[in-house]
Amino acid sequence: MMNATRRRALTTIVGGTLAPWARLSLAGSAGDTRPQRFVFLILRGGMDGLMAAPAPGDPAWAAARGTLAAAADAALPLAGGPFALHPLLAQAHGLYGSGELLVVHATGLPYRERSHFDAQQVLESGGSRPHELTSGWLGRALQASGRRGVALSTAVPLALRGATAVDTWAPSQLPEPAADLVARLASLYEADAELAPALARARGLHEEAAMRERLATPGAAGGGRIALTLARQAAEFLRAPGGLTVAVLELGGWDSHTNQAAPQGATANSLRTLDGMLAALREGLLQGDGSAWAHTVVLVATEFGRAVAANGNGGTDHGSGGAALLLGGAVRGGRVLADWPGLAAKDRYEGRDLRITTDLRAVLRPVLADHLQVARAALDREVLPGSAALPRLQDVLRAPA
Amino acid sequence: MNPAPTAAAIAAHRFGLGEARLDAMAADPRGWLLAQIGPADPQRGQDLADAATGLRAIVRYRQLRQQQPPAQPQPQPQPQAQRPPAAGAMPAAAPAAEQPFAEHFRAIVQADLRARLLTAATTERPFAERLALFWANHFTVSMAKASARGLVGAFEREAIRPHIAGRFETLLAAAVKHPAMLRYLDNDQSAGPQSRVVLRLQRLQRLQAPRLSGLNENLAREVLELHTLGVSGGGAAYGGWGGYTQADVTEFARVLTGWRVPLRDFAGDAPPAAVSATVFDPAWHQPGAKSVLNRRYAEGPQALDELLRDLAQHPSTARFIATKLARHFIADEPPAAVVERLAQAYRRSGGDLPAVYAALLQSPEAWLPAPRKLKTPEEFVVGSARLLGLGEAAFRRAGDGGVTQLGQRLQAAPSPAGWPDRADEWLGPDALWKRIEWATRLAERLGPQVDARALAPQSLGPLLGEATRQQIERAADGPQAFALLLLSPEFQRR
Repeated sequence: MMNATRRRALTTIVGGTLAPWARLSLAGSAGDTRPQRFVFLILRGGMDGLMAAPAPGDPAWAAARGTLAAAADAALPLAGGPFALHPLLAQAHGLYGSGELLVVHATGLPYRERSHFDAQQVLESGGSRPHELTSGWLGRALQASGRRGVALSTAVPLALRGATAVDTWAPSQLPEPAADLVARLASLYEADAELAPALARARGLHEEAAMRERLATPGAAGGGRIALTLARQAAEFLRAPGGLTVAVLELGGWDSHTNQAAPQGATANSLRTLDGMLAALREGLLQGDGSAWAHTVVLVATEFGRAVAANGNGGTDHGSGGAALLLGGAVRGGRVLADWPGLAAKDRYEGRDLRITTDLRAVLRPVLADHLQVARAALDREVLPGSAALPRLQDVLRAPA
Repeated sequence: MNPAPTAAAIAAHRFGLGEARLDAMAADPRGWLLAQIGPADPQRGQDLADAATGLRAIVRYRQLRQQQPPAQPQPQPQPQAQRPPAAGAMPAAAPAAEQPFAEHFRAIVQADLRARLLTAATTERPFAERLALFWANHFTVSMAKASARGLVGAFEREAIRPHIAGRFETLLAAAVKHPAMLRYLDNDQSAGPQSRVVLRLQRLQRLQAPRLSGLNENLAREVLELHTLGVSGGGAAYGGWGGYTQADVTEFARVLTGWRVPLRDFAGDAPPAAVSATVFDPAWHQPGAKSVLNRRYAEGPQALDELLRDLAQHPSTARFIATKLARHFIADEPPAAVVERLAQAYRRSGGDLPAVYAALLQSPEAWLPAPRKLKTPEEFVVGSARLLGLGEAAFRRAGDGGVTQLGQRLQAAPSPAGWPDRADEWLGPDALWKRIEWATRLAERLGPQVDARALAPQSLGPLLGEATRQQIERAADGPQAFALLLLSPEFQRR
């Protein structure tokens, strides 16, 4: 039923000129003049929704979070509820204030088994269980609405598979190994008398170098620099008049099993990078007459949330419900969309996880139907099969001007 | 834990080059290895240069440079990655003239590299391949020295691969007399001080020092130190190696005089088939008998074969070869008992290599589950390609699969001692970081299609430790899981 995804390698250099536009245009395809833009930012590894968007106003907060409760002390409050945003999401907090950021909480997928692999498969495929569907919901949406998309990565992520018009773009430069991978290796090498010290030395050298760069480039660390470049590039693709209206970005480093409140740890770096990416998207799409941003929806989602209570290492283990973000000029923001289940043990899923009360697909549906103009029948049958009976969320988007 | 699959995984990884599945060796791991002992597979590749082709390339290179003497000193063309001429840095004519030849040279080198890697990545006799790589390293010929350029692949195919499962003396003679070795270790330039060619030059150039006056000891010393007896004073933990003096080196060098490469015969495009790449030229040979290690060798070409045979039977050689094999397959500092067992097998069989390999495979120390050796970059890259069954695709983007970036420029070892066989030499901080970068890149490209959770136990069997299994299971995504598998101690080691 679906055509194979067409991939085209587009090379350019980070830090070089960011104008590979001519090489991106599809031969013979007329530019898409529809104004709507959509960005899907996939957070891989399971972002802790209660870290990014804590609920210090929940009566059970301190007791439920344990050693991680105090991490919310400096959080930036979200007016009118128990919620706040992590202080490293300061720019996102600004968007909340200007009504351009909607926080969706206690949300998740119709999947509860806590495997990264399977949960990401569901997140991207849009199915109701792992491997039920082999293409991506966004790919099918592109196909149904005749739009073109671009993945800012070397390979087409599952979310975009199933569409004929998909480009990929990635810097040709080798990415720095993710801090998260290196941290996992350190624990894997613990018992190896040769590999452990070799990694420790290598890490020391590279962290020194990364620290120097961080001082030179405020707000970006290590792999974060490349992520920011990709976000800027995505905005440029979407703003330019050539017919690309959908982009997919990815950001890893969220699998915070240890010490997740460390100020310079992997989670902090990822939050900082996320905030920078969102600001870069907005800034890029505001260029020119600003109309691109006014018609933009950015969805930030992860495969699952994490257990409510801290584990024995100051981290959190795999859980269920978490947070997603919707932002952009087309989003009715400045609110938290949540049917808040509460954090007390009795209110949690299996006594440990934030209970999922809003199916993420219920949030996707108005974005796909009203913003990307996917026909209702295609939405129900092909793009998000099995989602037609979900509650209708009426107030996710602004009324078109 | 069932002992049989553990042995299968050890056979596949420690003695082979890694496998995605352990079915082939599950029934009889040792038998699977023993059955592979024999000459190495013919290398996979097209238009692979033989020694004659390499020599013709060298001659053409010389001719070209003589016809167009550079106006100013120029950098030697790089055999692998030629630097693009910097605009305005030199006259346009010089690089243009060198271009066709450099291209031709590069084609030989790239085909050699590709054949070496592709064969290792696809062979069904990975133990034989490991032995071929081991011996190619033992008898290193490296294009780090310009005189060996274009000949290294031919050397491996002609001198090493056919002879890895015969007697050591056969392999030794094939390696020492190959034109690549004679050129690499300068025997080509070595003449007897009283040889006819030196005497003639002295007559012609009475007023100035002749440019050729006598011995070059390079090959003689390295054969003793690196190929046969081992360095004197070395190997104390294993009964001691060496046992030669400077006088032995010099006398051996005299025996070696005359063994040369007749470059002149390779000036045409199609030399007669009868032309040999290695000749014994009596005009360069030192007259008279020589004495090496208290044995007398008469003047003439037969002396080299006799001497190499005697070196092969020397007890130091038995211990040195035994140590190197044990170090390569078992541990950086192998147990002395294993070395002695291999040396005994060597001595009893008179240097029959299959007997030594069999003794290695019979040693219980070789089958301990804990892997103690670190893979070389080449073994890591080849093992990854085999794990994924990539075949040619592994070397499509980079002809060397990225091995150079990982710190091992293949066929270009830094010295005649070859690549090190100890982990600490491969574990500089940047080296490990490079492996992480390499694995990250491969995982990014192929990770989404790989199920590392299934692949890890399928390939490593019982060698897969619980910590690694859990890390792979808990990885943030598919690419990270695959990178963790590639970088796990179980896969980095063997």
